[in-house]
Amino acid sequence: MSTDARFATGDWYAVVGDHVTVLLPGSQRDRVAALWDLADAGATADAVLDALVSGGLSTLDHVALVAHGDDSTRVIVRGAPTATVASTSGEEIVSATAGTAWAERLVTGVTSIRVTLTGDGAADHALTAGIARVSVVEFGTPSAAPSAPVEEPVEEPVAPVVAAEPDPEPEPQPEPEPVAVEPEPEAAPAYAEPEPVAAAPMSFGEPEEDPTPTGETPVVEAPVVDDWSDRDGQTVTGPPVPDFDRPPIPGQEMAPEVVSQPVASLVFSTGDVVLVDRTVLVGRAPEARRFASHDQPHVVTVASPQQEISSTHLEIRPGAGADHGSAIATDLGSTNGTVLAQPGLEPEELKAGIAVSLIPGAVLDLGDGVTIQVTNP
Amino acid sequence: MRNVDLHHGASSDVGLVRKVNEDSYLVAPPVFVVADGMGGHSGGDVASQMVVEEFQRLAAVYDPSRGAEQVADTFARAQARIIDFGNAHRAMTPGWHAGTTAVVAVLVDDNGVTKWLLANLGDSRIYRITDGSLEQISVDHSVVQELIDAGQITVEEAATHPERHVITRALGSPEGIQPDFFLLPLGSVERLLLCSDGVTGMIEDKEIEDILESVADPRDAADRLVRAAVAAGGRDNATAIVVDVVGLVKDATYDSQRQLESLESKLGGRL
Repeated sequence: MSTDARFATGDWYAVVGDHVTVLLPGSQRDRVAALWDLADAGATADAVLDALVSGGLSTLDHVALVAHGDDSTRVIVRGAPTATVASTSGEEIVSATAGTAWAERLVTGVTSIRVTLTGDGAADHALTAGIARVSVVEFGTPSAAPSAPVEEPVEEPVAPVVAAEPDPEPEPQPEPEPVAVEPEPEAAPAYAEPEPVAAAPMSFGEPEEDPTPTGETPVVEAPVVDDWSDRDGQTVTGPPVPDFDRPPIPGQEMAPEVVSQPVASLVFSTGDVVLVDRTVLVGRAPEARRFASHDQPHVVTVASPQQEISSTHLEIRPGAGADHGSAIATDLGSTNGTVLAQPGLEPEELKAGIAVSLIPGAVLDLGDGVTIQVTNP
Repeated sequence: MRNVDLHHGASSDVGLVRKVNEDSYLVAPPVFVVADGMGGHSGGDVASQMVVEEFQRLAAVYDPSRGAEQVADTFARAQARIIDFGNAHRAMTPGWHAGTTAVVAVLVDDNGVTKWLLANLGDSRIYRITDGSLEQISVDHSVVQELIDAGQITVEEAATHPERHVITRALGSPEGIQPDFFLLPLGSVERLLLCSDGVTGMIEDKEIEDILESVADPRDAADRLVRAAVAAGGRDNATAIVVDVVGLVKDATYDSQRQLESLESKLGGRL
């Protein structure tokens, strides 16, 4: 039997692998992802069945499984689905009797199988490896009605979009009324449907377009991203803007997130010693925000019984550009401020958000008796 | 890590318009995840479920002292699975895609101190209640957020902006992923909310704050948030997880005992 398969759209899941196809109701979505991994990896019917029932049979009211072997085909149905199996020895309808776990057949010489889940639509979309939402699935040469050409349904959802162009032929036709009126009723059904059942064939109906067999990984060209739109008409993704999320402090070059050699050592009055090889955040209960997994800041918590120190009070990080090799301190808008005493200079109050280069011997006073001495590493 | 007692509740609803709930969530303390799948037919729901499955796997072997690293690894594994899944379909159909947002909250051990490590990709959100008011922790990876950051539009204009659903980072994106991480002290979070944009897009922050402030049980609070989003129109799948840290005594905001002692000693008192 050829493994040529087709489906009609619906709300059941079809998980289609090389050897095994599993059909599950829409409520069983929890099982779908795991089954897809198995089916895609080329698992055998037994392995898939094992995974299928691992969550217990009581929660699996309806399921159908079709496994193509070398010379025989195995069909399992439980609950609502029925399978019509045509073989060289005649046609048989497989359905589970109420009160049994499932009905199972091993049939040789199969010519076609039609599994009916909900409804009885014409299975005229090509079913390929992957996951589809289906109501009917057919394998092999259809016994009854000749299958519609695959391209036909593909055009359908596209056609109204073209028709929806406000003026398809205004140039040759001086009076546009008949043209303008006609497309509207045609376009309406395509847009009135909020859930894109009709759009499904767009995903599956064009096997001729790309003959790459499933399993090969074509390079995804950039233009595909532009087409990365949600068919629900809601969330879509655009290209990331990587440089945007870390605006530099004004007047300050972007610093590397982590440096190989610490630029300074911070000796806290509490006894802590912290190396400045990345951003250091100091406060009563410091919060680190919007960092990447590879540049997690050092967070130093200092006690402040008088509440003179803010929760995230001060940032000290390796400098860049002209400040390369030294540590840079920035008061993060603390309530009571930070006093910096550089060797040989008058103590000064740091201005919130303004970065100051620290020289060895500098002392930062955060209040509540907490000071930080800056030394060479 | 000190054992922290967490109370939590979660709720999810398909809404009134969609036929498929593409949101998935995970409650496996101390790991919490909300993922909002995109891609319409049979893509988004599977993608968000893949993220949840990977974090479920993480929860089984979770080591709080390696939190950030493990969460980043889990994101990478979920990304690889979604890309594979997408490629298998794209081989047949160029332009086919599956993607999902994700917000994650885990407890981590930061040099012996338990903290919240939060992570975000996309426009699902993390909020906290602190000192009785609602604060958004995560920063959306969206076009409108970037316009807000650049000062080109206001937050009010963003709610009706035509590109408000365009996100700039997501799992499944061919450019790779770049999650934002946040590290917060346990005591700075009285209540944590993870939710999909089906909640935040339907109800105002004020209403979220009122519900989180007035409903004591986190299970009821999560239910109320999702029901409010559905009642407001339910245009998208709505999912919420509410987490409370219980039995945690906040540091005294004012050390009165110490000041009393200091005063008594200065006055030559009864010490």
